[in-house]
Amino acid sequence: MTQFIQIIIGGIQQGSIYALLALGFSLVYRVTGVINLAQGAFCTLGALTAYSLETSVGLPPLLAALGAILATTALAAVAGRALFVPGLARLTNSNMLMMTAGLLTLFEGLVLVIWGSQPYAMPPFSGEKPWRVAGLLLPTQGVWVFGVTLAIIVALGWMLARTRLGQSLRACSENPTAARLMGVDVPRMQLFAFALAGAIGAAAGVVVAPAIALQFDTGRLLTISGFIAVAIGGIASFPGAIAGGLLLGLVGQLATAYVSSLFSNALALGLLLIVLVWRPSGLIRAKLARRSDVRDEARVWMHVSRLPSAMAWRGGGLLICLGLAAPFLLGQALLGALIITLILFIALIGQDVLMGYGGQISLGQAGFMAIGGYTAAYLATEHAWAPIAGVVAGMGLSVACAIVLAAVTLRLRGLYMALATLAFGLLIDSCAIGFDDITGGPSGMVGIPDFSVAGFAFATPMRMYFLVLALVVLIFVAVAGAMRSGFGRALQAIRTDPLAAAALGVNVVGCKMAAFALSATLASLAGSLYAFQFHFLSPDMVGTPRSLELVSMLVIGGEGTLIGPLLGAAVLTILPTVFQPLAIYKTLASGALLAGCSLYLPQGMFGLIVRLLPGQKRPIAA
Amino acid sequence: MSTLEVVGLRKSFGGLLATADVSFSVAAHSLTALIGPNGAGKTTLFNLITNLFAADAGTVTFDGVALGGLSSSAIAKLGVIRTFQTARVFPGMTVLENVLAGRHRLLPHGLAAQLTWMPYARRAERALAQRALALLDLVGLADQADSPATQLPMGAQKLLEVIRALMAQPRLLLLDEPAAGLNDTETAELSALLRAIQACGVTIVVVEHNMSLVMGIADQIVVLEAGRMIATGTPAAIQCNPRVIEAYLGAEAA
Repeated sequence: MTQFIQIIIGGIQQGSIYALLALGFSLVYRVTGVINLAQGAFCTLGALTAYSLETSVGLPPLLAALGAILATTALAAVAGRALFVPGLARLTNSNMLMMTAGLLTLFEGLVLVIWGSQPYAMPPFSGEKPWRVAGLLLPTQGVWVFGVTLAIIVALGWMLARTRLGQSLRACSENPTAARLMGVDVPRMQLFAFALAGAIGAAAGVVVAPAIALQFDTGRLLTISGFIAVAIGGIASFPGAIAGGLLLGLVGQLATAYVSSLFSNALALGLLLIVLVWRPSGLIRAKLARRSDVRDEARVWMHVSRLPSAMAWRGGGLLICLGLAAPFLLGQALLGALIITLILFIALIGQDVLMGYGGQISLGQAGFMAIGGYTAAYLATEHAWAPIAGVVAGMGLSVACAIVLAAVTLRLRGLYMALATLAFGLLIDSCAIGFDDITGGPSGMVGIPDFSVAGFAFATPMRMYFLVLALVVLIFVAVAGAMRSGFGRALQAIRTDPLAAAALGVNVVGCKMAAFALSATLASLAGSLYAFQFHFLSPDMVGTPRSLELVSMLVIGGEGTLIGPLLGAAVLTILPTVFQPLAIYKTLASGALLAGCSLYLPQGMFGLIVRLLPGQKRPIAA
Repeated sequence: MSTLEVVGLRKSFGGLLATADVSFSVAAHSLTALIGPNGAGKTTLFNLITNLFAADAGTVTFDGVALGGLSSSAIAKLGVIRTFQTARVFPGMTVLENVLAGRHRLLPHGLAAQLTWMPYARRAERALAQRALALLDLVGLADQADSPATQLPMGAQKLLEVIRALMAQPRLLLLDEPAAGLNDTETAELSALLRAIQACGVTIVVVEHNMSLVMGIADQIVVLEAGRMIATGTPAAIQCNPRVIEAYLGAEAA
């Protein structure tokens, strides 16, 4: 019994952290309608700033904590003013989600540049020795976490319920248009909510830091846990966020104690998927019913500028010539980077069909890369299958997973769908680490043979390059054919108005499924090629960071253009190779580019090129 | 011979009875207009016919097939095509692409044929574009074919939506206020277009406020007020029906 209570105490401590994270999510969501994926990064920033203020500047702990919270809030305010709030006025909700993914990456990159990639351990506020109360051990830091959480909840609740400021914030969340007409400065409230979420995040980071090991990418894990908590509890309600956090903490601790720590992650993700499917708006819902025959037209989809047909054909020819000549002009390192670019481009073509044309955000594409990569590599290495058979098996498995995932998540709309794919990607991540008999666990899988077809081995970079180039051209032409025919039109119609599309006889479910399966197939193929190219595969090569990178490449290159992502992939793959010493800035740059592009260059680099071409009229926002 | 049969349709939203026991039938190849003051339940009736909302009671049959319980796309596959009160062109697509999207249910080539650039698929696409351009020419939008659809003025968007619905080769066309936002010239064009569509053997039901348009083209008029059907008949009969005059002009005028 004592042990059980001890576990419950651990669960409440863990749950308080999640609840704090969830509270930040919920605050921003309620005021702006956007899920701010950068929430976890505020924690890392806050905690590490406090650490530096304490150790390098020599401030007493309390002052260091306050300073860190202030600094993080200021940074949040700057990011909010420059990117987040202007984005709210111009971007679709799904593009805002990607922008916050960019902010998360940007902050991670910032931490990487300032604090490096090593983990930090911080001392607990009140010493290592736990309190002993009635035979139970209370970790002092747990008491701190619980106390701070409680204080923030009470303060936030009071502010929202009793003050004029809180009233304005609530007005923004109920009905922004009406709030604006009543004289509430909506953008200022949105900025305030974003900065306040930064402050809550930093406070959470400061108190939680001693209880966990902290490094540059901890923010991502915190974002994910907080997000799962909020999705379970109900994002639009504060009690829901808190309840979700506590529930997640308890489930996690109980699973770790009675099952295995390996499965606590998987269990949390399973719990999330169940809640998303069974009750998409969370256990405690606070949502207004909407009329389904009227479209929300607050933010309208951009019109994508395209090259005139003749110029497109000539440009394509030129690109192929360049592609054929490239290996004879480039050195080994650059050729390697070019192969990676092309392999990622295969996955990106699929992602563009799904996101750019179909408007379905997937934050889990690398999950399919992992399925394809591990399946092909495992069959080729352990069972001596022909590589090509392994690749096909991987694609089959990916399509099967995609169809199951699509069937489960198809009821979900917009953002929830994106979040389900994120959960899927994370689930695959933990499988890649957990099933170490097959995948080699965290240290990866070695000794993957060369790719070969009927005895011909693609053993040199040159051969591999031409194989990948041929595949890219083939796939590009095929997918372009479908995108300019009925399938592409159906996807674009569904993207903005599934109801009107269905009224014209478009099979909405079927088209979404097909797009999902196509993108999974291509990601799987890319994952297999990736494994054969490196002769090695580890979870961090095809994990969730890769999924986010693919999204960055797509947005930077230009969504809905098919060829644009090639530019995005090239920039993020080849530039770090050319400027090796700058590699540490890669994360920072990729985040800044993603967040910046989604706001200032919504059509990406391809859109910019089309606009700069002579004789093109400026594309006008739709 | 009737094509569309609506029997005892009823729907309430909370305490509001939006549709109360409405029954009428629409003869094949005829043009029926649904009229009534704002809030009379005309659009709700459309939503019930196309099963966007499930009715509380009553049935809708089209050519003997019950539409209740069918999905939107299944209803479209029967040839029942509707437009929406607020123009719902697809943003991010050109005018031509919008019209082509209307044809989706009848494409002869599937995804596999599109991926492999099968010659017959390319030919079908080209023929489709020709047809779409011809239809656009009919309403004077052919020269705008490649501009973004959302940049058209509202009236042109409404016409585009009618053309898009036409591309789907409807057997029964349900138009929700097609003349809203159109100027007089465009309204005259619309009325000519509707007659031409009807002459091609399409049955039309139209919700419309523009009385001169309705009186000029309708074979049958159904008048709704506060969810109830208060009159039905030819334009001439409706014009001198005392209950209709009361609903539109108030009791004293009758």
